[in-house]
Amino acid sequence: MAKIEASDTVVLGISIDSPAANAAFAKQIGVTFPLLSDMNKKTLIAYGILKPYDVKGEKYEWAERTTIVVDKEGKIQHVQQGGSAVDPNSAVSICTDLHEKHTK
Amino acid sequence: MKQVVTSVLGLLLLVLGAAASPAAAQEDTIAKTNLKVGDTAPDFTLLSDEWKPVQLSDYRGKKNVILAFYVLAFTGG
Repeated sequence: MAKIEASDTVVLGISIDSPAANAAFAKQIGVTFPLLSDMNKKTLIAYGILKPYDVKGEKYEWAERTTIVVDKEGKIQHVQQGGSAVDPNSAVSICTDLHEKHTK
Repeated sequence: MKQVVTSVLGLLLLVLGAAASPAAAQEDTIAKTNLKVGDTAPDFTLLSDEWKPVQLSDYRGKKNVILAFYVLAFTGG
């Protein structure tokens, strides 16, 4: 992740956690990019990735694990969801391609 | 008597099975986004872990952005 941040790409983490929880989480895992708080779930709804969960009979909603690459024009270049989105390598390689396309 | 035990056991399995299956099915379904490659990413302004507003369109014309949506803080993955 440090490698990709050094180029012309930023990483933004997003979840429904509070800024306070995200601050503690950022400290624990040592991330250097911002963790954003979508407490009212507006962004997750706009992106269509709010997922219902059932925990001991109670209904909850939080994010589907998703990686989306947005280029400098604000256009989506890559969407990855579910378990495979845990590995950021394909998103990173897309950004490297975008970077090379712009510098060539 | 044996028959009663079997049917009670069968009923129990049925109930347990019914209780377990919705959760299992839920894990398999992905809340699939309707956004496609080439679409304009919906803009947002969200508070960072430093309580500062961050707007996606701030990066327009400057940076590529990787949006990493994660389930919950302090959980694996």
